[in-house]
Amino acid sequence: MFAAVLLSAPILAAGDSGASLRILPEAVQLTSPEASDQLVVLSAHDERPADLTRRAAFEAADPRIVAVSATGRVVPLADGRTTIAVRTQSAQAQIAVEVRGVALPPPVSFRRDITAVLSKAGCNAGGCHGKAEGQNGFKLSVFGYDPAFDHQAIVSQGRGRRVFPAAPDISLLLLKATGRVPHGGGQKIEPDSRWHRLVRRWIAEGMLLDAESGDAAVRIAVEPTEVRLAAHGEQQLRVVAFDAAGNARPVTAEADFRSNGDAIAGVSRDGLVKATEVPGEAAILVRYLGHVAVCRVVRPRESGDFPRPPERNFIDRLAWDKLVELRIAPSEMADDATFLRRAFLDTIGTLPTPDEARRFLSDTAPDKRRRLVAALLERPEFADYWAQQWSDLLQVDRDIVGSQATVAMTRWIREQIVANVPYDRFVRDVLTVQGSTLAESPAAFYQVQSDPQKLARSVSQLFLGVRIECAQCHHHPFERWDQKDYVALAGFFTTVERKPSFGGGVKIVDVEGKDLAHPRTGAIVPAAGLAAAPASFRSQTDRRRAFAEWATSADNPFFARTIVNRLWAHYFGRGLVEPVDDLRATNPASNEPLMQALVEHLVAVKFDLRAFTKTLLDSQLYQLDAAANDANRLDEQNYSHAVWKPLPAEVLLDAVSQVTGVSEEFNGWPRGYRAIQVWDNKLPSHFLDTFGRPTRQTVCACERGVEPSMAQALHLMNAEATVSKIQHRDGRAAELARSDLRPESVVEELYLASLSRYPSDADRQAMLEPFAVTAMSVEGRRAAIEDVMWTLLNTKEFVFNH
Amino acid sequence: MFDKTFGVDSRFCDRITRRRMLRIGGTGVLGSLSLPGLLHLQATAATEQAAKAKACIFIMLEGGPSHIDMWDLKPEAPSEIRGPFKPISTVVPGTQIGEILPLCAKVVDKFTILRSHSHADNAHQTGRHWVMTGYPPNFPDGQARGVPFNELYPSLGSIVARELGERGSVPPYIEVPEPMGPGGPGFYGAKYAPFTINNDPAQPDFEVRDLNVPESVAEDRFARRRRLLERAEALGESAKATGKAKTMASYYEKAVDLVTSPEARKAFDVRGESAAVRERYGLTSIGQSALLARRLVEAGCRFIGISHGSWDTHTDNFASHEKALVPPTDRALSTLVSDLDERGMLDETLIVMMGEMGRTPRINKDAGRDHWSQCQTVILAGGGIKRGAVVGASDKTASIPVTQPYGVQDLLRTIFHLLGVDADKVYHTPLGRPVPIVNGGKRIDEVLA
Repeated sequence: MFAAVLLSAPILAAGDSGASLRILPEAVQLTSPEASDQLVVLSAHDERPADLTRRAAFEAADPRIVAVSATGRVVPLADGRTTIAVRTQSAQAQIAVEVRGVALPPPVSFRRDITAVLSKAGCNAGGCHGKAEGQNGFKLSVFGYDPAFDHQAIVSQGRGRRVFPAAPDISLLLLKATGRVPHGGGQKIEPDSRWHRLVRRWIAEGMLLDAESGDAAVRIAVEPTEVRLAAHGEQQLRVVAFDAAGNARPVTAEADFRSNGDAIAGVSRDGLVKATEVPGEAAILVRYLGHVAVCRVVRPRESGDFPRPPERNFIDRLAWDKLVELRIAPSEMADDATFLRRAFLDTIGTLPTPDEARRFLSDTAPDKRRRLVAALLERPEFADYWAQQWSDLLQVDRDIVGSQATVAMTRWIREQIVANVPYDRFVRDVLTVQGSTLAESPAAFYQVQSDPQKLARSVSQLFLGVRIECAQCHHHPFERWDQKDYVALAGFFTTVERKPSFGGGVKIVDVEGKDLAHPRTGAIVPAAGLAAAPASFRSQTDRRRAFAEWATSADNPFFARTIVNRLWAHYFGRGLVEPVDDLRATNPASNEPLMQALVEHLVAVKFDLRAFTKTLLDSQLYQLDAAANDANRLDEQNYSHAVWKPLPAEVLLDAVSQVTGVSEEFNGWPRGYRAIQVWDNKLPSHFLDTFGRPTRQTVCACERGVEPSMAQALHLMNAEATVSKIQHRDGRAAELARSDLRPESVVEELYLASLSRYPSDADRQAMLEPFAVTAMSVEGRRAAIEDVMWTLLNTKEFVFNH
Repeated sequence: MFDKTFGVDSRFCDRITRRRMLRIGGTGVLGSLSLPGLLHLQATAATEQAAKAKACIFIMLEGGPSHIDMWDLKPEAPSEIRGPFKPISTVVPGTQIGEILPLCAKVVDKFTILRSHSHADNAHQTGRHWVMTGYPPNFPDGQARGVPFNELYPSLGSIVARELGERGSVPPYIEVPEPMGPGGPGFYGAKYAPFTINNDPAQPDFEVRDLNVPESVAEDRFARRRRLLERAEALGESAKATGKAKTMASYYEKAVDLVTSPEARKAFDVRGESAAVRERYGLTSIGQSALLARRLVEAGCRFIGISHGSWDTHTDNFASHEKALVPPTDRALSTLVSDLDERGMLDETLIVMMGEMGRTPRINKDAGRDHWSQCQTVILAGGGIKRGAVVGASDKTASIPVTQPYGVQDLLRTIFHLLGVDADKVYHTPLGRPVPIVNGGKRIDEVLA
C-alpha cells in the first residue's frame, strides 16, 4: 500500500547567493485522507546543515491537491500529483507530491491508526485512562500495548455507549475527546481535525479490529539523527515508520517526542527541537507504537577554542575530543593535596592522617600519584568500603536474612574484593550460588530476591542496567522490552527453592524449573536473555547457570557497560549514563565513544576491577580540579571539572571520628569499629539516617540519599554526639591542647587532619584569632582548638569530596 | 487491661511497639527541605489562588478511634453495640456527641463532624498509608519496614510542602512528637521530607533535636564559631563549590537562620507560653503538640502532622477511651479550635482529626472494639470548612454510611482544594510513571463553608 519507490528526485536549485536547499523527504506521498507529512528544509551548502524549516515559504503548485502549513506540514486534499515550491531568502527548491486514497480511502487500521492517535492525544497515558484502574470507568492499555483490549474497551464496554456507528459524531468517544461533553481530561482532539475525521471514519466503517500483522510498524526512523545547534537554535524533526514489507509512512504528527536534557534542548509536540543557552548534549527520544528512535543534539559553545591538554591514556583522548567539539575548556589539574584527599575518599572511604598527608605532599617522585592509588587499592579499608557498597546494592538486609546470614554474605563479598576476583566471576558466583545462607556465600541474595519475578527485576537492573520492571505490566515506554521479555527472564529463576536449613538460615537449592506463561496471552514463553535467543539447558535444574553464562559473557551488550558506568559514576560523580542503572538505546551515554572504549578496556583486563580502577584514576580527567572556569561552569555532563560529591553517611561519620580522634560507639559493638565496617544495616544511628544511608530495600543505586538537607546542617552544627567528640578528654583537641605545639602548628595539624592540606597564610591568620583573643589559660587554649576544629568540620570542604 | 492497651508497652496489633516506632523513627528525619525546593515553592506560592487555608494541622489518632463512642453514638442500638456512653447535647441544637467529649460539645459550632467517611482497607499500616498518601501501598500489612514506610507515594504533608512552600522562619512541614509511618516524601525525595521534632513537647525538658547549641558551648563561643566558619568558607576551597555543595551552603544558611532566628526558636519553645495557656491545651502529648502546632502556624509552617496513639483498643475499649485517650484529645482539639478562633486564625487554618479507621460497632469478648474502616467520623475545622455542621450519617449501628460515603481520595481532594493545591497535578516517579497528587475522588462540597 505504501510504495517505497521514489517518485522523483528532489530538485535542488541554486538561489541568488549560490546557496542550495535540501528537503526532507525527497518526495511526499500521502495515501489516506488523514495522513500528513512534515517537510524539513535544510541548507545544503556546508557539512553542518542549518534548519530553515521555520524560515521557508511553501507553496503547492496545485492547491486543490495538498495544503502546506507555514510550519511545513503537508496534508492531502484530493487525489493527484503536484509539486511544492520551497523558498528561503536565498534559495529555492521543489519537491514532488502524490496523493492517493482520498476519494477511495483504505480502511482505518485500529492497531495502527487509532492506537497511534490514542497515544499521541494522551488518552492511554499512565496518568489518564492508561493507569492500572483506568479513569472514570474507562481503561485503556498504557501506551496502547494491547490493541485488542483497547478495542474491546471502546467498542463493547460501557454497554457500547462509547461508539455509535449509525451517527459516529455522537459517539461518546468523540464527544469526550473533542470536549463537546464535559471531559476530565479536557479537549484532546480538535473538532474536525484530521484525527477527529480518522476516528469518525473508523466508527463509520464498523469499528473493525484488524488482524495482527506487520502492517503497523516494525521500526521507526527519525531525521536528522544528529544535529548541532547554536544557542536558541532550532531543528524540525521528521519521523517515518516502516512496515514489515519495508514501506515507509510519515508519522511525525503521531509520534511522541521527549528530551532527556531539557536544560540543553527541549522539543515540542510537533517535533521542533529548541536549544537553550546551555552548552552540552541532549537526546531527543521519539516513540511511535512501541518503537523508539533517538536524535542526538549537540550544543557547542559559541566560541572558546582551547589548546588540547596533554593525555595520559585513552580516557583523556576521548574526553578531550568531546570537550573540543563543545568548546568547553577543562579545569586545571588538581594540586597534590586535593588529589590525595579525593583518591583516599573515593577508593577507601577514609581520610588520610596528617602524617600520611605530610608524607605524600613532601614526596617529589613524579609517579607518586600512581603509586598512591596502587597502594590504596591494596589496603584493608578498600575491601571494607567496597564490601559495604556491594552489600547495599545486593540488599543484604538484616531484617530479612537475619544477623548471621548478613555477616556471612558481607564477609563473602569482602573476601572477593580482597582476592580481587574478576567481576564476571563474582556475578556468576552470586547468580549460581547454592547452599545455606549461614555459610560464607552470597546465598542470602536468593532469600531477599524471593521469587522469579523479583529476581528478573533485580538482576536485570543490578547487573544489566535494564529496568525491566515496567514490562511486568506493560510494554516499556522507552524501550523494546515487553511482558514477553519479562517472563522470559523470570523463567530462568523458576528453579530456585528456599528450604529451611538445619541450624537456622535458609538453604538455596535448584529444583526442576519451568518456562512461564505470558500474563496477557497465556502462551508459554521460553526462558531467554534480553534480546537473546531462547536459552538451552543441560537439564531443567540448570537454568541459573545458563542465565549466568549469557549475562556475564564478554559479548553481552549490557553487562560490562553496566559495571563500567557504576564505577565511572562512583569516581567521577556522575554516570556516563544517568541514572546509572538505566541503560537503554533511548538513554545514550554522554560520551558514547568513551563508554565503548571503557567497555573494551574492561573486557581486555578480563573484568579485573582493580586494574580498571587504576586506569580511571590515572587519567588526567580524574585529576582535574573541582574549581570551574568560565567555559565549563555550566557543564555537568562532560567531566570538564571535578564534581563536589557529598561524603556518604558512613564515610562522613568515620571522618568526624578520625578528625576528633574519638571513635564512634555503636550500640552493642566493641569500640573501634568504623562505620564502613559495620555489616548491620539496621544499627540505630541518627547520624547515618540523617546523612542518608541506604535502606537496602531495592537494588536501585538511587537509594543512597545524596540530597543535602537542612537536618544535616543542623546535625553537624549542634548534635550533642559530635560536640562531645570535639570536647572529649582523650580526643585530638584535648591532646593538641596539652601539647607544647605553637598555635600555628596546631592550626596546621587541624587542617591536615580534616582537609588534608596545609592552611594558606590567610587561613592561618583567620584561625589564629581565637588563640589571640583568649588569655591563654589551659581552658582557653583548648576552647580555641575546639572552635577551630568545629569550624573545619562544618566547612563544605570537609563535608564534600571535591 | 488498661495498661496493656495504653501502658508503656502498648502495641498496635501489627506488633510494632510504640517504643520501637520511636526508635526506628530516626529515619523520619532523613532530611528536610532543599533550598531549590524552597525557592521553587516560594515561586509557585504566588499561584496559590483562592486558597482558603494557609496551613493545615493534621491530627492522626493512630490505631483507629471509636467513632461510635465519640462522635456518632447509637443510643437506640442493642447493648452489645451501643456501649456504656451516653450522647450529650451540644452548643449546636440538634447535634449530639458522646459524653466523653464534654469540652468539644461546647465548640462543635466551630467545626464540621463528617460521619460518612469510609474506605476498604481494614489494617493499620496499609490503611494509614492510604489515608495519608491517597494510594494503597505496595506491601502487605505488617510488612512495612522502618519509618517512614511510604517509599513511593508522598505523604500529604510532603505534597503541601512541595506545592505551597515556605512561609516564615520555620520549615513548611513539621511532624510532632514523632515521625509518622507514612509521613515521608516518597519519590518526591528528601527535599520534601518533614522536619521531625522527635521529642514530646509535654516533657519538661522538651527541646528540638539539633536546634539548640549544646549547653557546653557558650553563646559567645557559638558566635565566634560562626565568625570563624564564615571566614574559613570564604577563604578555602568551599568558596569554589558548585552543584550539591552549593545547595548545601544554602542549607547551612537556613540552618544557621533556624538556630539563630529568634522567631524560629520562639516558635518551637512551647515553654514560652503562659502556664494558663499550656494548661488550657492540657499538659499532655497531644495537648502540647497542638499548642506547638498553633505556634508553628503563626511562624509560617504549612503542615503540621501530629500523631497520637494508641487507639487500637481491641481490649477494654471503654476504659481506654474514657480515661486515657479521649480526655486529652477532647481538651487539645477544643482548645486548639477555640484558641485559633480567638486569634482570628481559624478561618485560614485547616484542622483535620481522624484515624486510619473507625472501630467495630459490635463489642468483642474483651470489651474491646476491632478494626472498622467502613465507617468512621472525621473532624474538620477552619480554613473554609462549615461551622457547626454535621455531614453524612451512618446506619443504626454506625456500620456503614447511609448517605453518600466519602472515601480517602474525596477527603484528600477536599483538603487540597482548601489549601489551594491542584489535586490533578502530575509528577513523575524516577521510572517515569505519572502520579497525580490525588488519583480520582471528588471534592466533598457539603463540608465547605
